[in-house]
This record gives sequence, C-alpha cells and structure tokens, in this order.
Amino acid sequence: MNLTFALNGRTASVDVEAGETLLRTLRDRLSLTGAKEGCVEGECGACTVLLDGQPVDSCLLPSMSVARRSVTTVEGLGSVDTLHPVQAAMVDSGGVQCGFCTPGFIMVLVALLRENPDPTELEIRQAVSGNICRCTGYAQIVDAVIEKARGAM
Amino acid sequence: MEFISPASKDEALDVLGRLGPDATVLAGGTDVMVQYLRGEIAPGHLVYIGGLDALDGIAADGHEFSIGALTPHRRLATDPLVLDLLPAVSAAAATVGGWQTQAVGTIGGNVCNASPAADLAAPLLTADAMVNLESGRAKRSVRLADFLIGRRQTAREPDELVTGLSVTPRQGRTGDVYLKVGRRGAMEVALVGLSTRLMLDDSDRVEAVAIAVCSVAPVPYRASEAEEVLKGTRLEAEAIREAAAVLATSASPVSDFRADARYRTRVLGALLERALRMAAERAAA
Repeated sequence: MNLTFALNGRTASVDVEAGETLLRTLRDRLSLTGAKEGCVEGECGACTVLLDGQPVDSCLLPSMSVARRSVTTVEGLGSVDTLHPVQAAMVDSGGVQCGFCTPGFIMVLVALLRENPDPTELEIRQAVSGNICRCTGYAQIVDAVIEKARGAM
Repeated sequence: MEFISPASKDEALDVLGRLGPDATVLAGGTDVMVQYLRGEIAPGHLVYIGGLDALDGIAADGHEFSIGALTPHRRLATDPLVLDLLPAVSAAAATVGGWQTQAVGTIGGNVCNASPAADLAAPLLTADAMVNLESGRAKRSVRLADFLIGRRQTAREPDELVTGLSVTPRQGRTGDVYLKVGRRGAMEVALVGLSTRLMLDDSDRVEAVAIAVCSVAPVPYRASEAEEVLKGTRLEAEAIREAAAVLATSASPVSDFRADARYRTRVLGALLERALRMAAERAAA
C-alpha cells in the first residue's frame, strides 16, 4: 500500500505492508534509525516520535494511520553540528549514557516544552512516565530540562 | 490481512456490515496492535476509524454529557469540562499508560477492549454510562454494565460501531473519586481500581452512592449491595466496615504475577474507605 505523509517537514511517499508499524517503516524503509525498538507493547517509550506534535509509540502505530499527517523523529530536530536545545541539554547534563532511550526521551521533552515552556519537576516526571531509562536513574534527564532546556525553546 | 481506512462513519458501517466478524476495529491501536503483533488476534481486516473526526469530541447539554468514542485519554485527563463534571473519569484517564498511550488511546477502545482492569470502566459505571452503538441496520444504546459481558467480551455485534458514550455528570453535593492501586505511580495496570460517586443531603446523610470496581473480577462491575448498605448513613465507621465486607464478598479476584487474590480483596476494603472519605469531603466542599 502506498503511504504519503509529512516526515520531518518534507513529504514522504513509501510502500508499506498492511499491518506494518510506523517504527518498521521509519527504520527499515526510510533508514531513520533514531527511534528504537524496545518492548513493542507501549511500556518503554524508546520508539517515541511526534504525531501532529503529540508523542506516540511508533512501535504500535500502524503506518497507514499516519497518512496525510505530520511525523517528527529525532532526526528532524537537530544535527550533530547544530543540536536542538533539548539535545544539547541532555549532553551537558549527563542525561545520556548508553543512548538507547535518548531519542524517545528527547521527543517527549520537546513536546512538553512546546506545550509548557516552564514545567515543574513533577510535570517533567509525569511527562516522561511512559519512557524507561535503565542507566541514568532519571535524575540527570530531569536536571537537563530544569537547568538547561527550560526557557531555551 | 487488509487495512481499510473508511472516509466516513457511514462508510465504516458499510464495511463492518459487509465484513462482520472478519473485521477488527482499530482506533489508537494501544491494545489492538499489541494483540495483533503478538499474534493473539489474526483479523482478516483492520478497519481503521481513527481519522473519523465526527466520532471525536465532548459535548455537555444539561444533564446529558456525550463523549465521542475517539476522544483520547489525554483530552479526558485535561479537558476543563470533564475535570469539573466527571472528575473521576479524568483521574482514571490520567492513569492509562504514559503520555504516548494517552495521546492516541481512546475511551471507545478502552471500553471495547473490555479488560478486567479497564481504568475508565469504573468511573463510567458510577456515572451510569450508556454505550451508543450504530450499524447499517439500527442505532441503540446499552448500559455499560450490560455492555461488558465478560473478560474481553462485549455486547457489540460484529457489524456495530461504538460511536460514543452518554454519561450523567456530577450535580449538587456530589463527590466523584477514582483510586487505583499499583506498585508504582505510573504505567500500571490496576491491581485494584475503585470509583465512587457520593451524593450527600443537606444534613450530610448519604442520599445516593455509586461504587464500581475493576481488576477484582472478570469484568468491572457496580457493587450494588455495598451501595445499599451505605444509603441513608452518615458514613459512620461501622457502616463503612459493613459495606467493605459486603464489597469483599462480591469480588472474585484472580491471583497472578501482579498480586494474589487475598491481597486484592484486603486492599479493596481500605480503598473503599479512603474513596468514601475523599468523596464526602468533595461533596461537602
């Protein structure tokens, strides 16, 4: 089936299978490997992308359901030379260790800061409750937002 | 497997009428896609209705509160009208998974998935929710209590689409509460969930009370016998103890890796007391 949607600000057109998930389409057909496959049941958030600005688990999202909608992946935020403010904050605060969960956290935090530029610590923790990090213990990730990213967007 | 995206509600009803049991209706996908990817279901057709905006929205009209089937949990958790008039529904929606699940998961999906642990079911039962169904043949409304007929089983016919729910909003000296017990504060399937709607008269007697529970039986249910015990009381400790005992008798929880049956039953009584105290405070406020 042909799927056309807006991906990181450009129009993407790709052939997909009927029950295929957006995560597979992104990684295997469009070579965007920022979003990661973790649990495949909506528990870990490693596959998070933005759908019309809202964070969603791409591992459970049928690709055909994003037809004519707008998807942003971590590749659409910044580049190695010009990091997005949330990416820079995560690096500066030590919010990145193994890195597997990082793109998912960043997508949720970008969505949060767009809705609420000055979130409290509780609001940050609630926003990332659907994301699991097994390295940092979350403190540095929360610090990244509180100390660096708040107000930077 | 074929993926079908009807462009309108009528087209969706046509498709369901034609395909019947060979079709699985798909909205946010947070339950259906997990089951599909695990191979627990193998539908011939996935009928994707998530794009049908006409089924998405909240409307209040006097004593009638309508919630479209595609309204996502995130909106239920944050909408000022829902927070004010159906606060227990908001509270329950805020506990369904994380933001990613709440952004796309829908009230219609939560009800149709008919999990014993469906968070929204308990507060919807205390608000006397009606499930609105439509097919190419007819429209009908079914009490949620009659719609949920078994674990993952509903009264929906294969050619029917759940279009929304009609709910009775809070009014007068009423307190609505949903409490959920899990091992952590987020991302939990309820070990026990309990909702109550308590109405006090001017002398603080219980004029009306609704109690519903999830995760303690194959289906979420209204605890009518416990409600009877509390009517006309002033929520004296003895009355609550008796209601808790009656509630525990009505439950038939499972023992599984999350919690054993004895624990769930014991928690139920404590949860009832806490919920009633909170509801009374809110009703009197």
